[in-house]
Parts: sequence; structure tokens; C-alpha cells
Amino acid sequence: MENRPLEYDYTVAKMFMVTTIVLGIVGMSIGVFIAFELAFPWLNTILGPDLAEYTNFSRLRPLHTDAVAFGFTVSGIFATWFYVGQRVLKVSMAESKFLMFIGKLQFWLYVIGVTAVVISLFMGYTTSKEYAEFEWPIDIAIVVVWVLWGVSIFGLIGIRREKSLYISVWYYIATFLGVAMLYLFNNMEVPTYFASGGIGDVMHSVSMYAGTNDALVQWWYGHNAVAFVFTVPIIAMIYYFLPKESGQAIYSYKLSLLSFWGLMFVYLWAGGHHLLFSTVPDWMQTMGSIFSVVLILPSWGSAINMLLTMKGEWQQVAASPLIKFMVLASTFYMFSTLEGPIQAIKSVNAIAHFTDWIVGHVHDGTLGWVGFMIIAALYHMAPRVFKRELYSKSLMASQFWIQTLGIVLYFTSMWIAGITQGMMWRAHDEFGNLAYSFIDTVDVLHPYYALRGTGGLLYLVGFFMFAYNIYKTMSARPVEESELQNASPMGA
Amino acid sequence: MNKLYLWGIIITAAMLGATYVTVGYQKGGLNGDIVNMLAIAGAVALVIITVFVVIKYVRQMQVDQATGELADESWDNIGEYKNPVPMGWAIMFIGTMIWGMWYFLVGYPVNAYSQIGEYNEDVAAHDAKFEKEYANIKGENLVNMGESVYLVECVACHGLNADGNNEIDAADINKRISEKSVKYVVNHGSNNKLLGMEMPMPDRNGLFNANTGALITDAEIDTVAKYVANGFPAADQAGADVFAGVCSACHGADGKGMEYVAPDIREWSQALVVNVLDYGKIGAIGTMPSMDRLNAKQKEAIAAYVMSLKEGE
Amino acid sequence: MFHWLEKNPFFFAVGVFVTIAFAGLIEIVPNFAQASRPVIGTTPYSTLELAGRHVYIKNSCNACHSQLIRPFKSETDRYGHYSLSGEYAYDRPFLWGSKRTGPDLMRVGNYRTTEWHENHMKDPQSIVPTTIMPGYPWMFTNKADIDTAYAEQLTIANVFGVPYNKAVPMKDGSTKIVKMGKDLKDAQALALAEAQEVVKNMKDQDVKDAVANGEIPEIVALIAYLNSLK
Ligand code: HEC
Ligand code: HEC
Ligand code: HEC
Ligand code: HEM
Ligand code: HEM
Ligand SMILES: [Ca+2]
Ligand SMILES: [Ca+2]
Ligand SMILES: [Cu+2]
Repeated sequence: MENRPLEYDYTVAKMFMVTTIVLGIVGMSIGVFIAFELAFPWLNTILGPDLAEYTNFSRLRPLHTDAVAFGFTVSGIFATWFYVGQRVLKVSMAESKFLMFIGKLQFWLYVIGVTAVVISLFMGYTTSKEYAEFEWPIDIAIVVVWVLWGVSIFGLIGIRREKSLYISVWYYIATFLGVAMLYLFNNMEVPTYFASGGIGDVMHSVSMYAGTNDALVQWWYGHNAVAFVFTVPIIAMIYYFLPKESGQAIYSYKLSLLSFWGLMFVYLWAGGHHLLFSTVPDWMQTMGSIFSVVLILPSWGSAINMLLTMKGEWQQVAASPLIKFMVLASTFYMFSTLEGPIQAIKSVNAIAHFTDWIVGHVHDGTLGWVGFMIIAALYHMAPRVFKRELYSKSLMASQFWIQTLGIVLYFTSMWIAGITQGMMWRAHDEFGNLAYSFIDTVDVLHPYYALRGTGGLLYLVGFFMFAYNIYKTMSARPVEESELQNASPMGA
Repeated sequence: MNKLYLWGIIITAAMLGATYVTVGYQKGGLNGDIVNMLAIAGAVALVIITVFVVIKYVRQMQVDQATGELADESWDNIGEYKNPVPMGWAIMFIGTMIWGMWYFLVGYPVNAYSQIGEYNEDVAAHDAKFEKEYANIKGENLVNMGESVYLVECVACHGLNADGNNEIDAADINKRISEKSVKYVVNHGSNNKLLGMEMPMPDRNGLFNANTGALITDAEIDTVAKYVANGFPAADQAGADVFAGVCSACHGADGKGMEYVAPDIREWSQALVVNVLDYGKIGAIGTMPSMDRLNAKQKEAIAAYVMSLKEGE
Repeated sequence: MFHWLEKNPFFFAVGVFVTIAFAGLIEIVPNFAQASRPVIGTTPYSTLELAGRHVYIKNSCNACHSQLIRPFKSETDRYGHYSLSGEYAYDRPFLWGSKRTGPDLMRVGNYRTTEWHENHMKDPQSIVPTTIMPGYPWMFTNKADIDTAYAEQLTIANVFGVPYNKAVPMKDGSTKIVKMGKDLKDAQALALAEAQEVVKNMKDQDVKDAVANGEIPEIVALIAYLNSLK
């Protein structure tokens, strides 16, 4: 036993790899579809007027955001945890029947939850709160899944051989705690069926908070859901997969430490930047703006740490598309964590808020950072969990360039669309009256919406190439080494 | 020069060029609006800083070497250097924290900023400027101003050509009134504060024809409706007779109305349009909402615009 | 200290939790009571309006439409007075939105009408030829869920003390009472009476017939809600 490397058990990781890919395809296909709906509105009724209720933009938009956030991204988080967790704690899932059971239970409940979400959102069951649309029965299912994940994390930590927790584990723990706290408080709702003694729809509930308070709680949640779903666990991934794939040591422990605690402390205060010029008090808005600017540094700290880890390793960046994904992910992370704070400045937000510039910011982060990092993580895991070499390196390289072009089209078009529309809304003509009617400001967006749809389509095409590559990997050439150290083996 | 810098400059120039062109196309443009300028400044800073900071680190990948003392621990063979944090980063981090505390505790309270206060100042300045500039606006200019307001506020119902909308039947305001509306008013009366006050017109049970000595008849209503809607044609003797017998008592022999008694039904007047905007209108066609959020100057201008619209012109 | 924490997961987790938890308190608690107070003139939603609000939420209109007028000259010119906190006191959930693909609707009741909405919701292009808003023709046949609206009214009246059947002060010094049914039957009758008012200004014969038969299509409830936004 001592001399043999541990046999890690990747059963649960593999299961979540499947949902990552499937839900990624679902969520992004819907994204591309709704993007084109804004450019070509006749698509709203593409399946005929009878089905238009289920194919129109507004019914599908929450399906897109939830499928990519809670489907694609959260699956990616789970998949990587069940891979990384074992390895950095030096303990195999196979060593505990209990943890294995909990992991599988979590997976199947998750699948049931996702199915319920898809059906209920299609039917129009939603509470309208962004990233928290689900009605109360699904909330309960989600809490159960989350608790099970917590059991897995702390269970595995409990039986670990590696005494000290690796950086990635810090971030996974924070993800678990952060989402748990946020989700619970934002979903405080009273089911009306029970409160009224059995009248109306059982699924319906009413928020515990009203108006401005509801908005505050929602964006305290919404902002930090971004933090604890699209940022913190993704950092967990890059801290493992980049040094592992490149064989380099982390540039600086101190930088990791300060960035982690800095991020934990600062992030939560910044939620006010979603409510600028709203009816929440000025001082809270100002607080949101200030902390957003401070937040640049702990965010950039992690990214810089990653870029510096690759110091002197240009030949690897040049040679490996897998490492390219991660270097560009860091870059997009830096871009969106500078863009966010700039948009959080009150005067800039006066233009940016409510426009496509925000949508652009969102997708810099989600496509460039979250998407690329999860793709890279799965590429790194695939040869190890399937014990096969990656099917095709050249396919991976083409995917990288196609998706990069897609992101560039997405954010340039939305950037310009947002600034244009924001300025048109504000414009007064020479007589001091509004210069544009609302529809004027919609008409100008048409080319940008078409361009964004095209960018999204390229990204989706790349994602299909990824899915195909992973699928073919399962039947590719077996790898000889039992424990792959660094660079993943790739076929031509 | 290194290829990377060239790329950096190309990307930056492309983004900023595209933004510049967009802004250039606006009617408003930067427009001296501080908010517009700050947004653009932010966008410029974002691209430049990100591109060049990232290039700095990529250069280190190309030319530098990883060095430093490794920590004892390693996780799944991932090591860790004990390197110090990059100086520039540390200084900026501490700097922003100090700035944040200063701003929240001193800068912001001392400024005594309030968004509503700022709004009030903006509006006062805006209004003062335009009041001064357009106090005496008239003629062609006033019509142009009216058109500009019309295009933003009214198009949704009355359409680009002000000829109404068949779907919701908003009125065609190129002409004073349609036949259908006249008939409706005569049948049902009217109570829309067209005179700026409560002064209803009776329905057909209150409309006597002085010539016949009887209540107005269906045939007479048809006749007079045509006459009024067609703009009081001299050739229409039958219509003129009914009008003289029933309507002229209030609306005047020429249909131009009488002060405090009944409105002009021959042509739009300043007062009439303003009253429609102030009080809205419920009629044969549908409901016109009151547009009382417009200011006096805007209403005056719209009236001038509406009066300038005559069919065929 | 940090090295120690990294070897003691329990304390590490506690440390993280404390670090992230207290910001929330400071953000949310201080203004909580203040923000719950309605401004004068704000009334709870009637049964039909609430059912309409559910239709609005069900179709995620908030994906494209905001209900928050920011204090800028350009916004108050376009949409009317800027929003006040107390105006939202009865909004559960709030519907401010975060993306304005279409115009703000906070005060749309002031400048659009029943007739207009009827046509616009059925086929937006017939009113605004270049609009990208989808049509919602199924709202003309789907029935509004009055029962659930009533269940919600009961819930918020009992749990949160929303003033139904109580005099609420209005801006002009008068008071207004928003009625809530004694029981489900009563509530359905109240909603139907409201619906009959709305339908007077509508043209769609099927909708008119439905209301005459005591049924309320979604569109009627939605329009009642849109008209209440002032
Ligand atoms: C007793 C006085 C009186 C008589 C007689 C009368 N009107 Fe009127 N009419 C009014 C008043 C007052 C109004 C304005 C009502 C309001 O504010 O809505 C009015 C409004 C109208 C309008 C509506 C104008 C608009 O822009 O909507 C029309 C059309 C009209 N009258 C036509 C007639 C015709 C045709 C007759 C004769 C058959 C007639 N009136 C007889 C008093 C009268
Ligand atoms: C929500 C739709 C709507 C909007 C917005 C609207 N209108 Fe109207 N308007 C109507 C309808 C419907 C009528 C017809 C009322 C009737 O007579 O039955 C009308 C009637 C009028 C009339 C009277 C026409 C007549 O024959 O008596 C005038 C003048 C007018 N509108 C001007 C304007 C102007 C100017 C604006 C913008 C500042 C405007 N309207 C905005 C719907 C609208
Ligand atoms: C894809 C985006 C989109 C969706 C979804 C959408 N709208 Fe719209 N909406 C628009 C646009 C764009 C306009 C402006 C052009 C127009 O009037 O059609 C608009 C205009 C409106 C207006 C007129 C407001 C004004 O000031 O002119 C109303 C009312 C409205 N929408 C209600 C709704 C309701 C209710 C729903 C949901 C059932 C909805 N919209 C869904 C895009 C959307
Ligand atoms: C320093 C870090 C960041 C700051 C200060 C920040 C700031 C902001 C601001 C100001 C907004 C716009 C609010 C509005 O006006 O509507 C926003 C929106 C958003 N950001 Fe960021 N951002 C940061 C990083 C990120 C990252 C890394 C992501 C990851 C993907 C991200 C995802 C989002 C999303 C999804 C929204 C949209 C929220 C909505 O639905 O309205 N942000 N952010
Ligand atoms: C295939 C690529 C994608 C396309 C074409 C796409 C398209 C879109 C569109 C059209 C919207 C609605 C914008 C609007 O209302 O105007 C949207 C919103 C959003 N998308 Fe995507 N998307 C894609 C991928 C992703 C991915 C991978 C993620 C997350 C991991 C993501 C997260 C989001 C979020 C959080 C929002 C809400 C933004 C907001 O409310 O401000 N998207 N997307
Ligand atoms: Ca919920
Ligand atoms: Ca949003
Ligand atoms: Cu945020």
C-alpha cells in the first residue's frame, strides 16, 4: 500500500462530467437561440403560435441563466471537487462506502432537481428573482443537494492524509459556506397554499421581504452568487489545474493567502453596486462602489499569481492548447474584474446599468473565465479518469481559437451596443427635449445583436467540438503510465 | 518592438476606435455630459490597463525564469514558492483600502452627496438654460420643437405621420375631427374638459333643432357629421342648415366656438390641444391618456405642431 | 495563524463564515424598517391586479422591463417621477429588473391605455412595427389564477399586516379601501367585477364572452395590473 500510489475513485466525478457537458450544451444552445431572438424576433414563434408560449424570449431567458449557472457551472464545480478533493487530501473515495453513497445520492438528487427546474421554468413557475427563480419545493431539493455536498467535503477532509489544506480546498469550502448562507436568506418565502388554509396553487410562494428590502437581499445574494459560483470555485480549479498541467510550483504562497482572505472579506460588501441610483440609501450605494474598487486587487492577486506561475514557461503556453485555455481564462478574469469595478462607479453605472454593456461584462466573465476554466479542467481530468489519451490536440487548438473569436465578437458588440444605448437614453436635443423615443434606441441595436448571436454561435460550435473530443477520448489510445504527472497526453 | 506590444496596441486601438465611431454617430454624443465622458474614460482605462498589464506578465513567461525557495509541502506534487507578494500589487491593495476608508469616512460625508440633491440641481440648471433660450421661440422653430416632442411621446399611438393607428384607432390628428367622432359626440354628448373646465355637451336628448322645433334626428346627425368632418364646405347646404339650427348656438355660426361655451370644432387651436394633453380624452375612438408630465412649453410646441398639420400638407 | 487554520478545517470554516457573514448584516439591517414604510398614496394590489402581476412574473416580463425610474432628467422626462422607496412597500417580490431591453414600466399606467395594451400584447408589431418584443397571444385564452392571487392576499394580510379592507391615506387627503374577499367565492366575485370594468374598453370578442361567462383570461388581469402602475 505505502509504495503504490493511491487508486482514486472517480465514479462521482465522471457522473458530474457528463452533466457538465450536457447542461453546458443545453444552456448555451438556449443562449444562442435567445440571442438571435433579439436580433430576429420572428424566432419567437419558430415552432408555431401554439408553442410560442414556450419558445419566446422571456420564458427562455431564465432557463438559459439557470442552465449555465446551476447546470453547467455547478456541475463543473462538483465534477472537479470529486476529482481534486481526493488528490490534494490524499484520500480515495473508495476508502469510505459512506462517502461514496452520499456522493452518488447527491448526483441523483441533483439530476432530479435539474429536471424539476427545467419543467417548472418552462411552465412559468418562477419567483422572478434572478438566479433564484425556483419555487419553494425546488429550493428544498437544492438545499438537500447542497448539504450532501457539504457532507462530502467535510467527510473527505475528516479522513484526509494530507494535514494541511491546499489552496483549492480553501476555495471549495468558501463556495460551500457562501452559497449556503446566501441561498437560505434570499429564498425566505411563505408558501401561500399552506398559509391560506389550502387555496390556490401549491407551488406558489410569496417573498418574506418587500420592495426595497427585497431588492437589497436579492442583490446581496445575486452579487455574491456571482462571487461564489462564478469566481471562488473557478479559482479553486485554476489553482489546481494550471500548476498540475504545467508542472510548475505556485508563484507565491503569500499572494494566495492575501488574495483569498482579501476576496472573502471584500466581496460581500460590494452587492450595492447592483442598486446604484435606486431607492436604497446613498451611503449603501457608496459602500458598494468603494468595495468594488477595492475588490480589484484581491481578484487580480489570484490571476497574477497564476500568470507568474507560468514565468519562463512560454514554450508550454505556445505548445499546449490546454494551457492556453487557462492563461486566457486568467486574462478574462482580470478583464471582467476590472470592468466590474469601473461599471460600479456611480457615474459610469448611470450609462451602463440596464444596458447590454452589463451583459457584455457578464459574458467576459462567464465565457472567458468560467467556461474556459471548466473546459480546461475537464480536458485535464479526461485522460486520468478514462485512462486514455485525449483524442485530438488539433481539434482542441481549433476549438480554442474559434471560441476566443466568439468571445471577442460577444463582448465588443455588447460593449458598443450598451454604450450607444445608454447615451441615447440620456440624450436631449437642441430644444432640451428627449432626442430619441425608446424604439429608436432599440432599432440601432439590431446589427450588434446579430453580431453577438454569431459570437455565441461560434462559442457553441467550439463547445460541441469539446464534447466530441471528450467523447472520442473514451475510446482513444490507452495511456501506459498509471499515474500521469504533468502535461496531458494528446493524440494529433 | 515585441510582437505582443504590437498586438496590444492593435486590440486597444480597435476597441477604442469602434467606441469612438459609435459615440460620434450619436445625436447627443459626448455632449458635454460628464456622465458620458466618465463612461468613455472608464472604457478606455479598462482596455489599456488590462491589455498592458497582461502583456507585462506574458513577457515574463517569455524571458524570465521561475525562481525562489520552495515550501516543504506539496499537494499531489504541486509545490509552492515562498516568494514575496509583488510590490506593485501590495502597494495598490493597501492604497485602495486606505482610499476606501478615507472616502467612506471623510470624502463622502464631507461632500454631503445626495443623488436626489444632484438630480434637483441638474433639472434646475437644465430648465433654466432652456427657459432662457426658448422663452420667445415661435413660428417654424416652435413647430420643430413640437415635432421633436411628438416623435418621442406620441408616435406610439398616433404614428409617424400623425394619421392615427388602425389597431387602437388613435385619432388622425391631421384633421380636426372625423365623421365617426362627430356622430358619437352628438349621440352621446361629450365631457372631456375641452374648454379646460367641466362643461359637458348634452347628448342627443338635449339637442333641439331650432329650425324644426324637434329633437335632432338620425338623418340630421348623419348630415351634420359629414358637414363638420369635411371642414364646413360651403356647397353642403343641408349640413349647414342643421348646423345652424342645432349647433351654432354653442359652437358659433362658423363652428369656431365661443369662449366658455363650446370649443372650436373647425380647426385645432392652441388651447384645445393643450386641454386634450392636460385632461386626456375619452371618445368614439378610444381613450387618450392625459400627458400632464409635459411642461407648458412642450405643450405649446405640440399644439403649434398639430396646428401645422393639415391634411395634404 | 493562517498556517494553523489551514491545518484545522473546522476553525478555518468558522473563520471564512464570520468573514463573509457580517457584511450582510451591515448592508441589510440598518434600513430595514425604514424601507418597509409605504408612502402616502401607495395601496395594496387588488385581487385582479395581483393575478395580473403573477401573469407578468410567469412570463418573466422583468427579463426585458425595469420598474425603477432613476433620478436623472432623461428618465423622469421619459417615464415620470423618479421612484420612491415607499412606493414599493407592497411589492413582493420587487420587480425592478436589471436589463432594459424594453422601456421602464413603473408608471406605464399614466400614459398607456387598455386598448393599447390589448393590441400591443397580442401583436406588438402592429403598434410598433420595428419592436423586438414578442407577442403574447396565449394570454387571451389562458385563464388567470384568481385563487392563487387570493391565497397570496390572505397570506400577506395575515403574516405581514398588509392593509386590506382598511382605509389607506391618499395624496389628496382622502382615504381608499382596497377590498379583499371574505372567502374564495367573494374574492372571485370581486375580481370578476373588476374584470368587467377592464373588458369594457377591450375589443376581442372571445375575451368579452369569457368574462361574460364568469371566466377571466390572463390578459384582462395583466392589463388591470399594468393600468395600476402609476
Ligand atoms: C349646449 C351647447 C352645445 C350644443 C348645442 C352643441 N355642442 Fe358640441 N360641444 C359643446 C361643449 C361644451 C363641448 C365640449 C365638451 C367637452 O369638454 O368634452 C362640445 C364638443 C363638441 C365636439 C367635440 C370636439 C372634440 O374635439 O372632441 C363636437 C364634434 C361637437 N361638439 C359637435 C357638435 C355638433 C355637431 C352639434 C350640433 C349637432 C353640437 N356640437 C351642439 C356644447 C354644445
Ligand atoms: C396611449 C395612446 C395615446 C397616446 C400616447 C397619445 N394619444 Fe392622443 N389620442 C389617443 C386616442 C385613442 C385618441 C382618440 C380619443 C377619442 O377621441 O376617442 C387620441 C386623441 C388625440 C387628440 C384629439 C383628436 C381628436 O380628433 O379629438 C389629440 C389632439 C391628440 N390625441 C394628441 C396627442 C398628442 C400630441 C400626444 C403626445 C403628446 C398623444 N396624443 C398621445 C391615444 C393616444
Ligand atoms: C424581448 C424583450 C421583451 C419582452 C420579453 C417583453 N417586452 Fe414589452 N417591450 C419590449 C420593447 C423593445 C418595447 C418597446 C417597443 C414597443 O412598444 O413594443 C416594449 C414595450 C412594452 C410596453 C409599452 C411601454 C411604453 O412605455 O411604451 C409595455 C406595456 C410592455 N412592453 C409590456 C410587456 C409585458 C407585460 C411583457 C411580458 C408579458 C413584456 N412587455 C415582455 C420588449 C419586451
Ligand atoms: C471585481 C469584481 C467584479 C465587480 C466589482 C463587478 C461589478 C459588477 C457590476 C457593477 C455589475 C452591474 C450591475 C448593474 O448595473 O446592473 C455587474 C454585473 C454582473 N457581473 Fe460583475 N463584477 C465583478 C466580477 C464579475 C465576474 C468575475 C463575473 C463572472 C462571471 C461577474 C458576473 C456578473 C454578472 C452575472 C452580472 C449581472 C448581474 C445581473 O443579472 O444584473 N462579475 N458586476
Ligand atoms: C453560447 C454562448 C452564450 C450565449 C450566446 C449567451 C447569450 C445570452 C443572452 C442573449 C442573454 C440575455 C441578455 C439580455 O437579456 O439581453 C444572456 C444572459 C446571461 N447569460 Fe449567457 N450566453 C451564453 C453563454 C453563457 C454562459 C456559458 C454563461 C455562464 C456560465 C452565461 C451566463 C449568463 C448570465 C448570468 C446571464 C444574465 C445576465 C444579466 O442578467 O445581466 N451565458 N446570455
Ligand atoms: Ca425560491
Ligand atoms: Ca440581470
Ligand atoms: Cu455584483
